[in-house]
Formats: sequence, C-alpha cells, structure tokens
Amino acid sequence: MKDILKIMRFDFLSARPYALAPAAIILLLCAALSLFFSPIISAYITFGAAIFIIPLGGVAEKSGFNRLYGILPVNRKNITRARFIYIFFLHFIAEIIEIAIAFVSFNLKLNKLLPNQNGELAQMVSKGFEDGFLIPVAIIAAFILFCLLFGYMEMMGQLFGRENELKIIIITLGVVCGVVFVILLLAEREIIPTLKFPSLPVTTAGKVILGVVLNIIMLGICVLFGEITANRLAKREL
Amino acid sequence: MENILEINGLCKSYGDFSLKDVSFALPKGYIMGFVGQNGSGKTTTIRAILNMAKADSGKISVFGLDSVTDTIAIKERLGVVFDELYLANHLNVRQIEQQLKPFYKDWSTEDFFRRIKDFGLPDDKKVGAFSKGMKMKLMIAVALSHKAELIVLDEPTSGLDPVARDELLDILSEYIEDENRGVLFSTHITADVERIADYVTILHNGKVWFTGTKDELAEGYAVLKGAEADIPGALKEKLIGFHNYRNGFEALIKTADLVGVPSPLEYEKASIDEILVYIAKEDKNERHS
Repeated sequence: MKDILKIMRFDFLSARPYALAPAAIILLLCAALSLFFSPIISAYITFGAAIFIIPLGGVAEKSGFNRLYGILPVNRKNITRARFIYIFFLHFIAEIIEIAIAFVSFNLKLNKLLPNQNGELAQMVSKGFEDGFLIPVAIIAAFILFCLLFGYMEMMGQLFGRENELKIIIITLGVVCGVVFVILLLAEREIIPTLKFPSLPVTTAGKVILGVVLNIIMLGICVLFGEITANRLAKREL
Repeated sequence: MENILEINGLCKSYGDFSLKDVSFALPKGYIMGFVGQNGSGKTTTIRAILNMAKADSGKISVFGLDSVTDTIAIKERLGVVFDELYLANHLNVRQIEQQLKPFYKDWSTEDFFRRIKDFGLPDDKKVGAFSKGMKMKLMIAVALSHKAELIVLDEPTSGLDPVARDELLDILSEYIEDENRGVLFSTHITADVERIADYVTILHNGKVWFTGTKDELAEGYAVLKGAEADIPGALKEKLIGFHNYRNGFEALIKTADLVGVPSPLEYEKASIDEILVYIAKEDKNERHS
C-alpha cells in the first residue's frame, strides 16, 4: 500500500504544474455558479479531477518514465495499480467536494439574491433549488461515468499504447451504442421483455447507503482494471 | 575481495540479437569500464541488472542479493545514470526532489541540494531545459542523495562536451574513494575508461571478450606490424583483426603469443580503442579475403 501511495503522490506532483490552475478555475467557477444558479452545476467539478489525469500519459512518455519505473525501489505491479487508485481517488475527492458545495448551495439558496426574482430566468433558477433528489444522482452519475471512462482509457492506453487509445475508445463507444440500440429495438418490438429499473430508495439513509455502495463498486472496478493491467504489463519488459 | 556485482552465465535473446553466457564480477571499491561497440549488448546487460529485462538464463547478484527476487532491496542501494534523463522534464529540481524523496529510506534532502549547488545546477529551472551535462549531474545528484553504494552508468559521456565529461569523471573518481562502493560504467568512449576504470569488461556481439583489470588488458595485448611475408604460419592464426595495408599489415595479438615473433615484425602496446577496432575487424574476417 505504501508503494501505491508513493506512486499516487508522484503522479499528482507530475500533473500538478499543468492541472492546478485549470482545476482551481473549474472549482471556483462551478462553486460560484452552483451557489447562485443551481446546486447541480457542482457536478461539473468532475472535470477538474480529469485535468489531473489527462497530462500523465504524455508526461510519462516525454520524460522516459519507463526507465525511472525500472530503477525506483517499488514493485512494478504497484506502479500500474497506483494509477487506477489515483483515478478513483481524484474522482472520489471531486465527488465529496461536489456534494459539500451542492449541500451548502441547496441550503443557502443564494439564488434569492439574484435580481428580478419575478423574471422568467429567476423562476427557472429557483426550480433548480427545489429538487433535492436529482442533485446527488447527477453527482454520483458524473463520478461513475468519468471514473469508468478514465479507468477504461488508462487500461487501454497502457495495454495497447497511447497512440491507439482514441481508436479503442471510439470502437468501444460504437460497440456500446450498437448493443444499446439493438436492445432498445428488440424491447420496443417486444422481442425481449422490457427491463424495469428498480426504484431508488426514498429515505436519506437509503440514498446514502446506495451512494456508498456505488462508490465501493467503482473502487472495485478501478482495482480490477488495475489488476488486469498490472498482470498483463508485468510480463513485458521496461 | 567481495564482489558488489556478479553476473554468471547471463543469456538473453531478442530476435536476431542475443547475450551469450555473459559473466563478470566487479569487486567493491572499484570502477569497471563496460565497453563494446554500439549494439554489443551493454545496455541489455544493464537492463538485466536492473531487472528491466528478463534474463533467459543466468544469475545476477548485486550486493550479494538476487537481482530478480531482491530487486527492490537492490534498487534502494543502487544509483543509475542513463544516457537520457528519466525525470519529469517539466519540473524543476525542487519539484523533482519532492517526487523522489519518499521512495528512498536513506534520502537526504540536505545532501541533494548541497550537490545541486556544488554542481552549479539551477533549482528553479525546468530540468528538460538543462544541457546534457547538467542532466547527467542531476542524475548523479539523485543517485548520491540516497547514498547509492553502486552506480550504474549507461553511456553517460556520449554527447557530452570535453569539460562536462571531465567533470563527470572527477565526480566518479571522488565517489569511489569510499571503498564500499562500486561503479559500472558503460561507454564506447574508451578514453574515459583508460582514465578512471580499474577493471574493464569488453563485450562483443553479446559475448564477454575480455574481463579483468585494466592493467591485465593493457599488458595482455599488443599491436603487431610488419610485412605479411614475415609472419610465421603458426602465428598468423593467432592474429586478431588482421589487416593488410600497402606498407604492410597490422593486427592485434596476445602478448603471450609474441614469443618467437621474428625480428622484422614490430609490436607496441595496444590501447583499449585499438583493441575494440581489431575485434571489429576480426569479424570482417579480412585475413581470408
């Protein structure tokens, strides 16, 4: 675990010069917009987490980190695993910040400070402060989507090369869209039975538990991606 | 004498290139020059020492530890300098220090910045913008700051200007003053080896052609010159890298084989550079052309 934390710190410090300023701007902008216009806007802070991940592949390639990884006194598999835990934790931290901002925003209702409260825009804005259910759903959905996307991209990038990353993502998205389209088509024509989504818990405790479970599942998926990648890469030479 | 590095029967194949039964040892307190032409297998051997390349067979011991099973313990005590910088190009020296510090138990921030100052490196400039000599010094500062007992350098002087090369060799000479340390120094610039190495290993076509002290190498080989007609038949087969010029021939010969050489033939001590050249010529098999 120590190795993983060291590598995560290493990755964070590698990305920091590129990511700190844009991430801070995203955070401040989203927080301000969330406070005044809609708590749901805080979900966009996830982009700030992404900014700490995107530069890593290029930095590693340009700086010859393969050689550095070969001389550092750490288990090679842990170097790979660490990247996936890093992806999870950045999104997790973003999610916590988003929830905190959304909570403050929802309770302060600073939209009331906006001018022309009877105007159409102000009325629309105030609706965003009414639905307390949709906000955590949007935040967790953003967390899951980004975490999955970056975890998958990282795995593909490490296994098949960064230059093929985009190609693989496009193919994957195409396949996913194709499968979803076929399922929807078959369901519409009643060839397969339509699935009913289970209703979400109504109580706050139920929602919190569901949120925690989804976070644990995402951690599990990131660990799984990391394990698959580490095992495959361990067979390769640096 | 205790060996800080020992390689026994290392074999490794990559398509049409292979290391064949590479064996040599570096005793504590000495510098070994690891020489050979480009593509002779020096970097592959170093990568195997670092467990970056998996050996097909053979055993490598560093500090008496196995290079595969004890690789982490070895890397705690090992410093590496490659021909290219392996640190984050977009960071400055301070940020690099922050990144590397947690990885080494014996890391000394004080030592690191003292060396950075001694080497005249700016600590606020991106390391990617450093000159090649500065990058070498930075890698050495990293190696010395975690109190590495063995430094492995892969072609560190290629591309360096003479002043930077001289500085690097001085740093290594100073480092080896502690007799518990060792340096393995791969290069094809043999002048560097002549200057600082105590031991020399010559790798040729993936095989160890010579390993021993620099003095043994210097005393072991000579360049023989003269007219081809004066070479006794039995001696001709012992010549290495025979080449016939307009004014006569030149070839490398073991000094042990000089006994009975007829007087018209002349010989002189061979430099490491000459030895490498004659080994390469031997491959071309000019004798039989």
